[in-house]
Formats: sequence, C-alpha cells, structure tokens
Amino acid sequence: MKTSSKQPAEGGGEFYEKHKKVYPREVHGLFATLRVTGVLTLLGLYYLLPWLSWEGHQAVLFDLPARKFYIFTLTFWPQDFIYLAALLIISALALFFFTTLAGRLWCGYACPQTVWTEVFLWMERWFEGDRNKQIKLDNAPMAGGKFLRKSAKHTVWLLFSLWTGFTFVGYFTPITELGQAVLQFNTGPWETFWILFYGFATYGNAGWMREQVCIYMCPYARFQSAMFDKDTLLISYDEQRGEPRGSRKRSADPKNLGLGDCVDCTLCVQVCPTGIDIRDGLQYQCIGCAACVDVCNDVMGKMKYAPGLIRYTTENAMQGVPTRILRPRVTIYITLLCAITAALIYSMLIRLPLGLDVIRDRNALYRETNEGLIENIYILKIINMDKQAHEYHLTVSGLEGATLLLEKTDLLIDAGKVVTVPARIRIDPVHLKKIGYDVYFTLTAKDNSALHVRQKGRFIGPLNR
Amino acid sequence: MTETEKKLPLVQQVVSILWPSFLTAGAATILFFTAFDPQLIMEVSGYGEISRLGGYSMGFFLFWMLTSTSCALTCYFRKPCDELGKKNQ
Repeated sequence: MKTSSKQPAEGGGEFYEKHKKVYPREVHGLFATLRVTGVLTLLGLYYLLPWLSWEGHQAVLFDLPARKFYIFTLTFWPQDFIYLAALLIISALALFFFTTLAGRLWCGYACPQTVWTEVFLWMERWFEGDRNKQIKLDNAPMAGGKFLRKSAKHTVWLLFSLWTGFTFVGYFTPITELGQAVLQFNTGPWETFWILFYGFATYGNAGWMREQVCIYMCPYARFQSAMFDKDTLLISYDEQRGEPRGSRKRSADPKNLGLGDCVDCTLCVQVCPTGIDIRDGLQYQCIGCAACVDVCNDVMGKMKYAPGLIRYTTENAMQGVPTRILRPRVTIYITLLCAITAALIYSMLIRLPLGLDVIRDRNALYRETNEGLIENIYILKIINMDKQAHEYHLTVSGLEGATLLLEKTDLLIDAGKVVTVPARIRIDPVHLKKIGYDVYFTLTAKDNSALHVRQKGRFIGPLNR
Repeated sequence: MTETEKKLPLVQQVVSILWPSFLTAGAATILFFTAFDPQLIMEVSGYGEISRLGGYSMGFFLFWMLTSTSCALTCYFRKPCDELGKKNQ
C-alpha cells in the first residue's frame, strides 16, 4: 500500500501546526449500521460484563489484590502468565490476518478509540446538532445559548467518562462493592485515582483527541501498511470513473459535459472522521470506516448513477486483475493462528490445578548437623488451584540415601490457597560422590494420584569429596 | 529545534514522549509483577501498610517515570549538534 506523506493540515511558519477540528457529518448506510452494531455490542459487553456473576464470584474479575484472574469458570494465577502471553500472540496474529484480508477492519469498527469516539459524537450531536450547526456554533461568540449547549455536552461526556472509569476499575475490584463505595463516596485512594485516570483518558481521547490518536499515537496505524498486499480490501475512490469531477444538474448527461461520475459534492470529505479527502488516493490517516462509501452511494443513488464510486475494493481489482483470497501470507497467518490456538486450548485442558515452587535457601549452601550429616534447606511454595481442598504427600528422589524432613507434616491445603513449607534434605556424606545433585520433589494429592507435580531442586554438598 | 521538528504538531511532540513510555511501562509492570508480588516487596522494604493495588499503581508510575525520562532524553539528544552551535554564535 502506498501512503502519501501529506500532513493532515499544512502549517505555515508556525512553531507547530495548529490542529483543525474535524466535524464529521452524520452518515447512514450499510457500513454505518454495521459500525453502530459493533459499537453497541462491544460497549454493551464492556459495561455489562463486570456485573455478571458466575459460581459465586464476579464472572470476569482480574483480582489484582488476590493475584488471581477469574474468567467465568477459569481461574488464572501468576504462574499461568504463559496463557496470557499466548492470548496476546493470538490477538496479534488475528489482527495481522484480518488486516491482510480486509485492511483496517479493526480501526473502522472495533478499536476502542473508534467505538468511544462514535458514542461521543452521538452525544455531541444531541446538544450541538450536526456538522453545519456545530461549525456555526463554534464560530459564534460565547453567549448564553452556546455556553449552555457546550456545558451540557461536557457534563454528559464527563459523566459517561466517569462511568467508563468506574467500569474499568470494576474489572479489578468487585464491582458491586465498588458501586456501594462510590455511592457512599468511600472508595479507596487508588480506586478513586484509577476511576478518575481512566475517565479522564476516555474524555480526552474520545472527546478532544479523536483522530489525532489514530494519526499520532497509534503504533498499529504506522505499521499496518506492511500487512497490505495487492489483494487486500481497502476503501478506494474509482478515479477512472469519477474524473474529471464537477457539479452538474441531475438531468444533465455527464458525457455531454465531459465529466466523470464525481459530482464534487465533498460529502465524502465532510463525513470523514480523520478529515481527509479519499479522492487524493490512499492515505495512512484513513481508518477504513467506510463512512465515505455510505455517503457517496447515497449521492450516486440520488443522481441515478451506479453505486460504488467509492467502494471496498483491492488494488488488483482496480487494475482489472482477479483478486485472490488465499495467498501465501494469508495461509501462513491461518496456520499459525490455528496452531497456537490449538496449543493453548490443549494446554489449558491438561492444566493441573496444582503448583509447586522450590526455592533453595540462599543463606547457606549447606549445613552440617551435629551428627555429621549434610543438610540443605528449601522453601516450598504449594499452590492449590483446585476448587476443593486436598491433602498432599511430598517425596524426594534423585539422591540415594537422602531423607526429607518437613516442618509441617500436615499438607492439607484449602481450595485456592498458597502455603509455604520449609523443607530440609539430610544425607550422610558417604553417599555424596560429587558436589551437586539434582533432586526432585514430587507432590501428589492423596485422594487423586493423577494430581501430581514434580519440581527440580539442587542439593549441594561439601567441596572436598 | 530542527526544521523537520518545527513542523511536528505539538500533540505529536508530547505524545511521542508520553505514549511510547506509557506502553512500555504497562508491559514492564505486567512482567515485573507477574514475577514479584508487590506486597512481598513492600513488606521486605518496610512499607507493609501499602496495599497491593497501591503497589501495582506505584510500580506502574515508577516505570512510566523511567521510560518517559528515557524517551525525553532520546528526543533531547536527537537534536543535531550543528544547530546548537549556530545558536551560541
């Protein structure tokens, strides 16, 4: 994909370019409907999910204070970090896959920036009207009516942002308790801070920054063109059909006037949320929202021309070359995506709800007891990730003649609890043939022998053997 | 400020320091606190009364401070030296 390096607004001799506010015009049509559906679904999920309950706990709760993540029936521990990493890799690959196939689908329909900006635009239109009224209002001097409209808009924006911040924190602390605390003005300092921080970020990004976030802040916008090829879906103006552009009467035949199909109504520019002219060719500012497609089809309909002067197409299709869907890079993305997803599901299915960490005592390499035995000390961290309590049995292997001494013989651990157990391995030095040995701690549930883990530790003896 | 930098919009100048550092600080926070429990660190260092949420938050902001400092220094040292000389003459 070729991108023009044209800056969104040309500055003069100023220190920095003055940002020109973009007033996106309201648009209706197929893609606008799709986006609204996306917005309602995604925001609905975001705002409602934390209120769901599941098996006695909040369905989705990233319980940072307890260092446990609940996602419906699954519970994740810090040890399960690998799953989060895999999930991130899957998300990235899915993004690459969809970008290669259909361009900036993510940007146009699903990105939080797009979604919240869309809602903020709706609220702006309630108070300030559509594009023309907004421009007129902004040019008018600050008087009673304007002040009222502006302050009403900002109040609603701020309330919505605060609710957004509250919901965000509700993913990390139980939301019903948080709600009660908020109603009593009794939230903890950090919770208050994060509600305000996230709320402010929402207000700033969706109310003020808008397309500048996509243009200046978004890393994906910078590198997405690397995923494009000639068969990638993109939004394009059909220059051959549209040019030369010009206004004409509805009854006039463009061929007689020597004109193309573009009536130069500039509606495609007016609806653009990033303020570009799609007729200038592909630009990296284009987030692929298809607002210009909708509005242009509308105009084409009114003019009784065929729709699709601006449309979803591919570079190949524009040049009359057939478009291929299954290309090598698409196949590679699908293969990787399926492989990693399958590996993740498999490893989660065989995941044992039991964890054991072996930490060697760092104060001394070894200790000699009064009886002349060599002793190593370990700290064992046992995590019962199961939903029921278990009693465990611990053995040690890998070192002939060694005895395991536990300070706590009763290894009964409640569901979801972490227990730290100091352990000692003692051995008569006659058994030691070298300085270090790998020893294996095996922890087995007494009621279920399939529930066992083995962890390696290191036994170190005296040097002069 | 160089000619090209003069053309950079103010938002871009500000976010090129605050935003990349925010992203890396977020990643660093996740990685760091996956390995270390904030409460343990706080207790060991004698700040036992600070909660885990407080620990996470402070950790994040410490990381953000560090990463944004390095972003700011990068921007600072990116200034071509010949222009600095001109200014002094």
